[in-house]
This record gives sequence, structure tokens and C-alpha cells, in this order.
Amino acid sequence: MTANDGKLDRRALLLGAVFLVGGAAALMRFSRKSTATSDGAGPALSAEQFSLLELVADVIIPGTDTPGALAAGVPAFLRDMLAAWGSRATRTEFVSVLEAIEKQAWAQFGASFSELPPERRLAIMRTFDAESLGRQDAAYSKFKYLVLVGYYHSEVGATQELRYELVPGAWRACLPLTEVGRASAV
Amino acid sequence: MDFDAIVVGSGISGGWVAKELCERGLKTLVIERGRHVDHRADYLDFATPWEVSNRGQVPQDEVAEHYPIQSQCYAFNSASKQWWVRDSEHPYATPTDRPYNWIRGYHLGGRSLNWGRQTYRMSDVDFNAHKLDGHGIDWPIRYADISPWYDRVEKFAGISGANEGLEHLPDGLFLPPMALNCLEVAFKQRTEADHPTRRVTVGRCAHLTEPTPEHIALGRGPCQLRSVCERGCGYGAYFSSLSATLPAAQKTGNLTIVTDAIVERLDYDHAKQRVSGVRVIDAKTKQHRSYQARVVFMCASTIGTTQILLSSTSEAFPNGLANRSDTVGRYLMDHVVGIGATGTHPKFRDRYYYGRRPTGFYVPRYVNVTEKGGAEFARGFGFQGYSGRCSWTRGAQEAGVGAELKERLRMPGPWEMQLIGFGEMLPRADNRVRLHATRRDGWGIPLVDIDCTHGENERRLAEHANQDAAQMLTAAGFENVAPLGKMAPPGSSVHEMGTARMGRDPASSVLNAHNQAHDVRNLFITDGACMASSGSVNPSLTYMALSARAANHAADLLASGEI
Repeated sequence: MTANDGKLDRRALLLGAVFLVGGAAALMRFSRKSTATSDGAGPALSAEQFSLLELVADVIIPGTDTPGALAAGVPAFLRDMLAAWGSRATRTEFVSVLEAIEKQAWAQFGASFSELPPERRLAIMRTFDAESLGRQDAAYSKFKYLVLVGYYHSEVGATQELRYELVPGAWRACLPLTEVGRASAV
Repeated sequence: MDFDAIVVGSGISGGWVAKELCERGLKTLVIERGRHVDHRADYLDFATPWEVSNRGQVPQDEVAEHYPIQSQCYAFNSASKQWWVRDSEHPYATPTDRPYNWIRGYHLGGRSLNWGRQTYRMSDVDFNAHKLDGHGIDWPIRYADISPWYDRVEKFAGISGANEGLEHLPDGLFLPPMALNCLEVAFKQRTEADHPTRRVTVGRCAHLTEPTPEHIALGRGPCQLRSVCERGCGYGAYFSSLSATLPAAQKTGNLTIVTDAIVERLDYDHAKQRVSGVRVIDAKTKQHRSYQARVVFMCASTIGTTQILLSSTSEAFPNGLANRSDTVGRYLMDHVVGIGATGTHPKFRDRYYYGRRPTGFYVPRYVNVTEKGGAEFARGFGFQGYSGRCSWTRGAQEAGVGAELKERLRMPGPWEMQLIGFGEMLPRADNRVRLHATRRDGWGIPLVDIDCTHGENERRLAEHANQDAAQMLTAAGFENVAPLGKMAPPGSSVHEMGTARMGRDPASSVLNAHNQAHDVRNLFITDGACMASSGSVNPSLTYMALSARAANHAADLLASGEI
């Protein structure tokens, strides 16, 4: 995250001292509550981190004409999966992405991500997503993948947003896309 | 005698030997080192994506501690994990700078449960290869010898595929082929037009597209296009020991199976010049016992069989059973993998497919066959191909969040295609499996020590395959064409073979033309160890045919009193 920190610091400097002080205090508070859990014990995310994850997941996959990440239970799924599946390094990396998003909120708008209105959260995530993927940030790409697999392989994501058949029963090799309608979940 | 025959191993080879021997009326014992598995009941093939633990991913700490090698197999996931050994419990040695991936599972049915199910016949291009280029030794058989046995195993196993009329990829007795998708049809047309010497055909695979009464009588049903094959198939739609050969053997009333029985060594009776017993260690209690039979078949997998032969020393065979030639453990081969190319196609955006076809397509070998001259290496490679439209996973690399992202991922992404090379590996005496001098496993058996590297021929072949794959994709209008990369460590294609090879000369080979040990007449080996050359096609169908052929030959010899 070193390169990321550098970029954010430059932007933070432009935003002025008040934001810097407030941001630094908030980040310290955030960091204190995000101590890594011991392997196999306790939740993988603190309550504060979990709240932020809910907000971020809601921005990445919002409810539209179909349910979004929140309705599909993605944050709770990711919390449980991080505990059951993720190594300490993976959990730390996941949390570091949340921290970077929070940092960007302070840098861009001078407030915590959770205190910003939805359109500003979307603006932050658009920037953060494009910049992170633009520099091939592996930590963020993995984070985003987990949000996406959490959603598209949930029952809601696979069957309402996309298509999924447990037993297709047939292979039709070449069809008009309109006949199939949507992408297959698997 | 306890039994007429003992078969060590219950995978693809062992299942076939057991079926054929039992059907010939021989009381047969199958010894499996792993646990018992119940067909259907023990499979996780009806779990939806949201029911599979951790969306298919095995916990990272568990992978690091127990599965660092096995997890490199593409089919390893949280719903198929039970078909792989824990590396932590089943270690083997390699030189630190020369890795070898020994990927395997210890359970009833062996790797027939999680194999790739690609099934191709070898041809006289393979059986005659030594005569033409001098590499390795001459196979003691030709295509005419094995062809009727390919017929026999294809009919029973159920192989889906298209006949192509190629001498170097012989036709077979196939069930109806699965169709190529829109992009594959276009790729086939362009490639065959550019190169009349090359062919693109749908992957031949051990799947029932139209089960015969014989398949149905065994409780097998048609493929449901689910593509969760690596978990085991409750429909019995793909061939495995559990769906097909062992049930058929069981029906005869002649089959006995013991599981959790690790074969430690074979006893040799010097006076009678025969294998006189099979010593096993109970995997759970570690107690020793032994079994006797008139004939013994080794089907414990290439490296497993080698380990047992090398452990079976005696006054007559100080270097391991049936090893007067000093070739047991040598000439280890795999297929060269990790090579080929990938690309995306800009067209056909209005076309899609329905169902999850459990096979890809195949480009059979052409180098040094239909395209002679120009290649700077011996033998050749085939390509297994995959194509489909990119899924939602592309969203993790492409910028975009919110309603826009959701809208975009709702529809399939661009078409992509991979050409994955499988290259022949030449047999070299110093690519070998030995017993470790000091280290032993949890049952007191010496660890295998594998030292195997690719040679200059493999490196040249890999380079050529990368270039050809990229060229074919580019010519067919693909974009973002990129070679797959460098050769994966040997073992990675899970086609290990060659360490007790067939041959005409007892001085340079272990087995004769019927997979019978030159040195020990009641010992047969029909797993991958028997292969004199690797060819370029997936070997399992050949193991099936050689196993059925050898089993019937042994039954003939038993009937005539010759063994």
C-alpha cells in the first residue's frame, strides 16, 4: 500500500490542515479497533470494519431492479468466509483495503465514508476502484473479487441477477444471446 | 491360495483388470491403500455454488499446511478436496532445485474419480516412433495389437467423440459427440482452411451422451452438462472405477475389495521363480498381514508401483523386483504442459450457449506427422482447447462499480479461447524414481525420491507450441493473444509414466508385449509405469486397453497352467 499512501498524502496536503488532523485522528481510531483476530478465534472483522464493508459492498453491487449485495447477505458472508477461509495475511490485506477506502473518504471529502451521502460514496469508490485496478493493485482486485463471488454465487445473485441451473440437462452449443437472456453464474 | 489374482490399486487400471479377471471366473482381490468410497453417497455434486464451502476455496492455511502441491491441480477445490492426499501426510523427496509435482489421491477408485476424462487412442505414429527417430526403445506392440482392446474398453466405458478418419488419431466406437460452440466452429473453419494438415475436433471424453443398455444396467445415466465432474458424478455419467468397472466386477461374485491396506512389498519365491505373496500394512492399525494368489497385477499408479517394486528386494532381486535390467524407476515421463496461448475474440457477441459442456476441443498432433520437416525437435504435441464467454469474474479486473458494473456483468463478456499444449516427453534414464536412503513415511515405508527434469527437446517443443498456438489464434481473428507461459514442473499434467516400461529386450525393459514382467512370469504391471513412450495424447484410455488385454492374457495363461 506504499504507493497508495503516497498518492493519498499528496491529495490530503491539497485539502488542508484541518482535514489532515481530522483524518489522522479518525484513521488512528479506526486502526485501533481493527486489530487482527487470532487464527480461528473471534470475528475476522470488527464491528466498525463490518459496517464499512456493508457500505462499500452496497456501493459496488447496489440494489436496482434486482436485489444487491446487502439483500444477498454479502457482508456477513464475507466476514464468515474471511474467518473460515482467509489466512492472517489475507484478513490483514482485506482490512487494509477497507482502511484505504476510509482514508480516501477523508482525503476526498474530509469525512468518514459512513458519514457521507450515497452519491459521494459512489464517487469515492469510482475513483478508488479505477485507480487501484489501473495500477494493478492485487489487494484491491482480490477484495473486489470476494465481493463479486459473494454476490454472484449467492442464491440471489446466481438465480435472480444471473442464470443458474443445478442440472442443465442439455448442451445447446450456439444460441442467440437473446434466447438465453443473461450470463450464466457458473 | 487365498485368491486366483491380486490387483494392487483400484484406479482406472486396477478397476479394468479386476473386471476382466472376475468376468473370466477368477477369484480376485483388489487391494486399495486408501479409504472406502460409496459411489453417489460420498459425492458433493448436488451442492449449489452458495452451498459449497467458501465458494469452492479451500482455507488458505489448510492449503499451505496440507496441500501445497495437490492444490496446484486445476480440479482441486473445497468440493473435491477429498480426492487428493494431504502432502503433509504423504511426503516425497525431490532435489530442492528440481521440483516434481506428484498429484494423487488415496481412496477407492483412485484418480478415476477426479481425472480429466479426455480419451484418445495412441496410433502407430507413437508405436513406430523409435524406429523412425531412435529415441527410447521400440514398443513391443503395434496399433493392430491394441486396437481391438480400445474397441472393447470404449464400448464399455462409453466415450463421446467424433470420428475424423485420421491415421494418427484413430477413430473409435464412440457415443455421439458434443457439439462445438459458435466460436469453435469458426476457429475450426479458419484453422483447417489455413492448415489442411491440422484438424479441430470436439474433445473425446468418457461421458455418456447416449447410454447403452449395458451402461444403464450398471446404474449409469446420461451426462447432465453440469461440469462438476471433479466432485464425483451421482449419475455415473462419466467413467470411473466406481461407476463402471468395479460394479461390473462385483456382479460376477468373484470380487473382494480391501481398503486401507498399504502394500509394503511383494514376496518372491526364488525356487518357484514367482511372486508368492503381497504384504500389506493396515493404514489405520499399522498391523502387517499378507495375501497370496497365483498372479499379481500392479496397478498402484506409476510411482506407487515403482515404490513397491524397489522395496521388494530379495536375494534374487537385490535392486528391486523384476529389475534385472536396472530400468525400474528410470525413464519417468509426463506430458509437457503450461504451454499454449490464450486470446479474446471481438465477434459473436450476440451468440451464447446453454449448459456446461464438460469437455473442450482438440487439435491433434501435426508436427512431424502431417507436417514433416522444419521442426527442430523430435515427436510433437496436441492442443486441448477451451472457449467460452468471460463470466462476471472479469469485474474483478475491470474498472467499474455500482449499477453500471451490475448492468455490464449481467451479460456475458467477450469470447475467450485457450489452446493448451500437451507435449511428448522423451524417456531419459536419469529421470528417475528411487527410494530415499533414510526418510520413511508414517508406516515405515521408504519415501520415494523423484529426480526429473525437462530436456532440450522438451524446451524446443514448448517454444514451438507457444508460437503455433499464438499464430493460430491470431489468424482466426483473436485479440489480446498471449502465450500461456513456461513449462510447468514435470508431473503437472498428472500423466506420469514409464518407470517399468514394456519392451522387446529384457535387458532394457521390464515388461513384455503383454505387460508381463520379463523376470517374473506371474507379475503384470498395467498402470502408467508400463509406457515405453508418452505419445502426445492423454494416456488413460491406453491404460484401460492394456489392462484389459493383459488381464485376458493372464487368464489364458492361468487356464493353460503356464503361470
